[in-house]
This record gives sequence, C-alpha cells and structure tokens, in this order.
Amino acid sequence: MNATPGHSPVKSIMPRWVRGPQDFVGGIALMAIALFALWASSDLQGMRGFSFGAGTAPRMFAFLLLGLGAAVTVVGVLTEGAHLAKYHWRGPLFVTLAILTFAVTIRPMGMIFAAMTSFMIAACGTPETRWTETFIVGVCLTTFCSLLFPYALGLPLQLLPSFLIR
Amino acid sequence: MGDLFSNLGLGFGVVFQLVQWSPAFLGGASIPIPVNILLCLIGALVGTLVGVLPGIGTIATVAMLLPITFGLPPVGALIMLAGIYYGAQYGGSTTSILVNIPGEAGSVVTALDGFQMAKQGRAGPALAIAAIGSFFAGCVATVLIAVLGAPLTKLALAFGPAEYFSLMVLGLIFAVVLAKGSVLKAIAMIVFGLLLSMVGSDIETGASRMAFNIPELADGLGFATVAMGLFGFAEIIRNLDAGGETDRKLVQEKVSGLMPTVRDLKDSTPAILRGTALGSILGILPGGGAVIASFAAYTLEKKISKNPSRFGRGAIEGVAAPESANNAAAQTSFIPLLTLGIPPNAVMALMVGAMTIHGIVPGPQVMQKQPELVWGMIASMWVGNLMLLIINLPLVGIWVRLLRVPYRLMFPAIVVFCCIGIYSVNNAPTDVMLAGGFGLLGYWLIKHDFEPAPLLLGMVLGPLMEENLRRALLISRGDWSVFLTRPLSAVLMVLAAALLVLAILPSLRKKRDEVFVESEN
Amino acid sequence: MKRYGRSVAGGFLAALAVLGLPSSQAQAQAYPTRSITMIVPFAAGGPTDVISRIVTGHMAQTLGQTIIIENVVGAGGTTATTRASRAANDGYTLITGHMGTHAASVPLYPNLAYHPEKNFEPVALLAGTPILILARKDFPPKDLKEFVAYVKTNEAKVNAAHAGVGSVSNVSCELLNSILGIKPTGVPFNGTGPAMNALVGGQVDYMCDQIVNAVPQINGGTIKAYAIATPQRNPSLPNVPTTAEAGLPAFQAQAWNAIFAPKGTPPAVVARLNEAVVKALDDEGVRKRLLDLGSVIPAAAERTPAALGALVNKEIAKWTPVLKPVQN
Repeated sequence: MNATPGHSPVKSIMPRWVRGPQDFVGGIALMAIALFALWASSDLQGMRGFSFGAGTAPRMFAFLLLGLGAAVTVVGVLTEGAHLAKYHWRGPLFVTLAILTFAVTIRPMGMIFAAMTSFMIAACGTPETRWTETFIVGVCLTTFCSLLFPYALGLPLQLLPSFLIR
Repeated sequence: MGDLFSNLGLGFGVVFQLVQWSPAFLGGASIPIPVNILLCLIGALVGTLVGVLPGIGTIATVAMLLPITFGLPPVGALIMLAGIYYGAQYGGSTTSILVNIPGEAGSVVTALDGFQMAKQGRAGPALAIAAIGSFFAGCVATVLIAVLGAPLTKLALAFGPAEYFSLMVLGLIFAVVLAKGSVLKAIAMIVFGLLLSMVGSDIETGASRMAFNIPELADGLGFATVAMGLFGFAEIIRNLDAGGETDRKLVQEKVSGLMPTVRDLKDSTPAILRGTALGSILGILPGGGAVIASFAAYTLEKKISKNPSRFGRGAIEGVAAPESANNAAAQTSFIPLLTLGIPPNAVMALMVGAMTIHGIVPGPQVMQKQPELVWGMIASMWVGNLMLLIINLPLVGIWVRLLRVPYRLMFPAIVVFCCIGIYSVNNAPTDVMLAGGFGLLGYWLIKHDFEPAPLLLGMVLGPLMEENLRRALLISRGDWSVFLTRPLSAVLMVLAAALLVLAILPSLRKKRDEVFVESEN
Repeated sequence: MKRYGRSVAGGFLAALAVLGLPSSQAQAQAYPTRSITMIVPFAAGGPTDVISRIVTGHMAQTLGQTIIIENVVGAGGTTATTRASRAANDGYTLITGHMGTHAASVPLYPNLAYHPEKNFEPVALLAGTPILILARKDFPPKDLKEFVAYVKTNEAKVNAAHAGVGSVSNVSCELLNSILGIKPTGVPFNGTGPAMNALVGGQVDYMCDQIVNAVPQINGGTIKAYAIATPQRNPSLPNVPTTAEAGLPAFQAQAWNAIFAPKGTPPAVVARLNEAVVKALDDEGVRKRLLDLGSVIPAAAERTPAALGALVNKEIAKWTPVLKPVQN
C-alpha cells in the first residue's frame, strides 16, 4: 500500500531546513483539515452541563488532529525523511472522471449507458489501452452487469434511460 | 448433555427434511427434495457472490431477497438468509486479497497481509487459508451457540454503555498496533477517521454536523463509500502511475501453488485457533463486538509473533487469524437473536423482519416456542459452512486466474463494479461522487505514506465510541468514574492501557527499525 | 418482422395519444402500465417496511403490475420523503409515510424541504401500530398510577431510552413526558433493537415503543408493560390495560403508516390505488399478517384519501406543540 519512499523524488522545492518534506507537507495538510473541521463544527453546541453537546466530540477530535498534524510536521522538520513523491495526472483524472460520469448518468440514463460510458472513460487512464479489445470487453461487462445486478441479485437498478421508459 | 443431542437431532432433522415433490410431468410419481439443504446452498452461493462483489452489501441483498422468502416456509427462509449472511463473510475476503478492496469492516485487516501475499504470487494460499480458517471457526462457533448460547446471553446483557465505550477504546488501541509504519502517523490517521465519523446527525439532538446541507451526508459517510474510495479507487490510481503495469506483470509471473504448503498450515493453525476464540467471544456483544473481532485477532497475532515486522508484508497468520475471527463472530452474533430475540446488527434486524412477515416475532421464548426454527438454523449453519468450504476451495483457482487478466482491462471493470456497488447501497449518486473524492484523498495519503486502514477503523469505531460515551455519561449524570468502577469496563480499560504501552514502547526504538527497513530495500 | 414494426408504430401512436391528451382520464385507463416504485423511508425489516411489503404484495395482484420496494434510509425518513415529494406525479412513484415523516417532522425539522400536506396527495391509510409504555422488569412501580407518581417524584433519577431523535419511540415519549410535565434524562440509542437491549439489560428505566417489538419481550417476562395508548386493548396483549383504563386517558398515540403520492397525481390514479389498498385490507391473509404484528387495521370510513388527509392535518396539529420545545 505504501509508495516506496524516495522512489521518484521530485526536485525539492522545500527549504533546506525541512529534512523530511513528505511528513512536513502531510502534517500541514492534516492541520489544514483539522482547522476546516473546527470551522465547519463551529456552529454546533458545546457542553451542556455534564452532557456532551453536538459539537463537543467533533471539536475534541479536530483539536487532537491539529496537535497530531503539528507533531507530524515537526517530525518532518527534525528528522531525515522521504522526499515528496511524484504525482501523475492521467490515472487520477480519468478514473475520477469515470466515477463522476457514472454518478451523473446512472439516474437519468440507466445502468447500461452509465456502466459502458464510465468503463470507456476509465480505460483512458492508461496509455496501454487497445481500443477494439477494450470496447469488446466493455460490451461484455455491461451485458454481464445488466443481467447480474437487476436480475440475479434483484437490486432496483434501472437499465434504460428514463425518457425511453416514460 | 442429552438435551443438547436431542436438540441437535431435531435441528439436523429439520435441515435434512425431505419434501415430496410431485410435478405434473411425472404423472403422479413424486421425488423427495431436501428443500432446506437446497435453500441453504442457495443462500451460501448468493452470499459468496455478494461478498465477492465490491460494495454490494449483505444488508441490501437480504433486503432484496426478503420478498422471495414470503412464499417459503419460515425455517427455510431463515436458513437461506442466514446462509447469505455468513456466505458473505467467506466471499468478503476474496476482493480484499485479490484487489485490496475490503467489502466490509471485517475484511479491512485481511487486506493488509492478504493483498501483500497476492502481490508475492501467493493469492492461492491466502484465499485457501481464509476459507479453511473460516470453516474451522464456523464449526466451533456453531457448537458454542448450541452448547452455551443461553448462558452467554448474560454477557451480552451485562454490557452497558460504559462497557462498550471501554471496548471501543481498546479497539482504537488495536488500530494503532495494526500500523506497520510510524505510530504517530497511525494515530493521526485514526483521529482523522474519528473526525470523519462525526459527519452526520448528532445522536442526542439530531443536529446536523459538518454535513453542509447535503442530504446524503445527513446520516454520515457510509462505510462502503469510504472503503471503496480509500482502498479500491486509490489503489487503482496508484497502479496507473508509471510502473503499475510492470508490477502487475511480475505478480502474474510469480503465481506459485494454489494451496497452502505444510508450513503455511503449521504457521496458521495456532492463529486460526486464537482467532476463533477471540471472534466467538466478541461476536456475542451486540452493537460493535463483531466489528472489532477481526482486528483484535490480527493485533494479538502481531503482538505475540516472534517477528512482528513480517506483518503487513504478507504473513499468512495475518490472513488466517482475522478471517477466522470474522467468521466466528458472524456465527456467535446470532446468539442475542436466538436467545433474546434482539437483533444485534442491521442484517439480523432484517431477519427479524423476515420472521415477523412469517408471523413469528422472536423474543426470549423463541427457543421454547420455535425449537425447530432455532435448532434448524443452528444445524444449517454447520451444513452451510461445510458447503462454503466446498464451494470456495475450487473457486481459489478461478480467482487466481482472474489475476492474469491484463490490468488495462481489469481496472476499468473494477471501477464500474465499485460504482454500481456504492450506488446500490442507498441508490444515491452522491455516494458515488464522494467515493471518487475519497479515492483522490487515498492517493494523496499513499503519496505521503499515511496508512488508510487505521483511518477506516477510526471511522467505524468513532460513532460507537462517542455514542456510548455520551450514553454512559448521561446515565451516570456526568460522573467519569463509571468507566473504572464498573468491573467489566475497568478490566477493558486496564487491557487498553497495557496494550498502549506495548504499542508505544517499540516506537521508542524506532530509529533502529528504520535502519532495518532501509536495508531491506 | 412486420409484427415488430406494427407494435412499434402502435406504441408510438399510443405515446402520441398520451402526449396529446394529457387528461387524467386517458392516463387512468391505462394505469398502471409498468412497475410502480414504492419508497419506504426506513430500513428493510422494520415495522413500516414489513407493513408496506405485506400490503403492496396484495396490491400488485390487484393492479397487475409489480411494485418495487425501495428502502431509502436517513434523517428520520425525511431524506426519502424529500425525494418522493420531487418525483414525477404520474402514480409510478409512491411513498409509505408514517407518523414521523408526515406529521412529527414538521415541528422537528425546521428546514424540512417538503410539507406533508402541500407536497403530497394522500392515498390510503394502511395500518396503525399501537404504542406501549414499557419499563425494565425490576423497575419499582407496579402499575401505571404508581409509575406516574414515581417518575414525578424521581424526575432527576429516571432514564428514558429512545431509538433516536425523531423516531416513533422518541416522539411518543416526548408526548408522554409533556402530559406528565416531567423532563427525565433521555438516553438515545441507534434504533429500537439497541434500545430494547438496554431496557432488557436494565441499563435504562423506561421507554415508549411500538407493539411489534415489545410483545415477545413482555410475554417472555424480560420487560413489563404499563399500558397501551389506544382506545381498545390489543388482542396480542389482552392483559395490558389501555391508558384510559389505567388512569392516563390523555396519552393516546399510534404510529400509523399510509401511502402518499406526489402532489398533482391524477385523482383517478389515486382512486385506483386506494381501491387496491382497500381490497388488500379486506383480504384474509393480509389481515392475519397485520393482526399478528399487533397492528390496528383501519375501519372502512378511515380508508379514504380524504380521511387520510384529515388525519395528517390532525396529527400535525397534535405534535407541533409537543415537539417544538424539544428543538431548542
């Protein structure tokens, strides 16, 4: 699961005194998340006498995360650690796009369209895709899903676009 | 004892019951059909399928199959539904091992070492040991239900909010021990998970917390949504980075034997035994016991292992123990339902629904009033586990062959399956989008060497912990000492403290460990 | 081939006819031509789900089309109800609403995205589930009179469990507490199962809950029931007195379940659906199943859409003063 540290180091844009950029940035991001959570839960009620309010636990965990994020950052400054790993755009972009397409089309267009389209978009995520082969597999997969989910498992999934049903 | 045998006899009698079937085309002749065995088989098969498909939850499937059970006799219907439930536990390990997607909370831990084993070409032994461990655990737990079901119910009732809170604290410490890297970062991930679990509505006031007026967030983030994102989608995106394909080619070339070796079996036997014991006990506790069974078992193995650094890098005990615990807990979680009539989780609540539709409302007298139902179900569990073993061992070969499918075709298929799975949980497109977001978050976490497993466990335990803490404090009128004055709770707290010390001590020697890691590379 | 062509042309003409004549008459004659989706705003297996499944199972036979149950859980059922309020009003998306989603939600959720009366057409009442006052088996009071006296003097000591904000057990317990004029410590649980577990385990003192969940526990002696909040005793619990008999006539509560359609659904469609419900409620098999659950089957006069509309109106008026103060 873990990226080999220092596998493909990016040219460090970090100042020299940051010895472990990976932890340094990671810690700062956690602190940012914690601050965001503190802001998001600021409208919630705190302690009411002895009993917890709606906001007590979220704020407690947010403060804890803030502290832990700070600790991770400090570790990143003080100890020698991995460099920032390199990010790629192609995989994340197309996989996310495929997921979004599925989410947007499943209700209006039905499962056949959504499954096929998102399969093809996801396949753009790697340069190794061979289109004829991918198309055939996509058709087979869509057919398989259309039989499996609504029929074999009886899930209430709509297969066809809703304008065809009406 | 005599009672037990007559009861089990009754149970097996129900399971092996033959119904005369006289279809028209036979012209009056009739064939005896073992209806309940067939229903048990159908349940086991559907359960395996549901477990294998990422995201498709047992709850959704049991719910969809409820209407089908209308036409069946109640005993047969429940045997089938129970089969789906524990069949899914068998199937759930498959995706964890093959593609690193845990289908439910119980298989998060299996993914840690199971997926590493698959990467080393040992998917076959991992899948096989999961099935064998589950079978053994299922058999032991079934006997336990039959022999000690009624007395064990007292344990379930002795657990009040204070005890559950202490158990959850212990669970969080387990999550720390799970981590293979930095303890500090693991704790940070758990707290992040706890924070994410706060999204949704407050249990006491119903106030909406950090939900930003998104209706789908009103009840919090779903487990499937986060797990599919952090594990499934993130893993795919990571693999698509340069080098992914060559990695996979290596895996395909390395595939060694399908079945575990003698050494594997020798290594896993004690792990299976311990996992079964832990899972059986924790499974009895409704509302959270079964959730922490698998990682309690994993933690135990890691802690008593002579060489803990193997864990997280493909140790077979790391698959055997949690899978056994998982299945044992799935079986013993029937105890509160069968002895008290109180469903301990959502799937069991559905089974209660199935019973009520059939006019049986389960309660504390269900064992006396419906002995054939209770004992039939218990006996069917044993038969079902045997069937599952027979179904799953030959499947190992097929699953491993699936790994040979080129990754360029495999990953879009996984994306589609995960999307359908997540969507089917609530029929909510927003859940699918959220999972996509968690995929990107997971990718980022990987890049910064944060482990997603503790995060997910924090998310599962968070609500249980907060709710029970608040209940305990409401009942004690704000007196925090309840966690130490109630004996059961105190024992759990002491255990948690001891484990925390054990977990943090090695990190003081962390410097040396890091040297080891470096030299390994 | 020729046949195929004709049927497509026929379908096209029929579609044109429907588009051209969007009168409710034309639609109702055809209705239903495809499967109907019934949204159930709670988890499968719960009382509302079970009642919906029993009744729709029979309705499907009458209407000659399948009825697909879609369980959409969340926010006390209001997520599903919001979705149903925005669905097409063609009679193919319906919802089983209940006391919570179509009455108590009005005061409970100030930002509710729908209004039970303005956004829905009432179709038919399905069944009512009586509510009981329950206590742990070793709770000191022996009957309802003693209970009332006990909780009033020990207000600071007693704990009342409920199955989550907005649940039937929560809402009905608020009504009881407001009648008694007490504010005990409410201990929230996630659903009826865990709440019942805590009551059986003796961790909490009392709660109000629907009859379905409680009957076996009462008969098994693991908890006790003080009274049933309906005008008549229930056949499944003949020994439990009504609140009127036991001295608290003001506490009357029933969790009712009913079918609603989105606002603007043609009256003829509503009538057709109502007819199917009425037929189901007269069926022996359906009646037996519902009675086994402890449900109360509505009398003929209570089964019309108008009667349901009146009930919703009455219930909103009943819950608003009780639940408004809970919010703040």
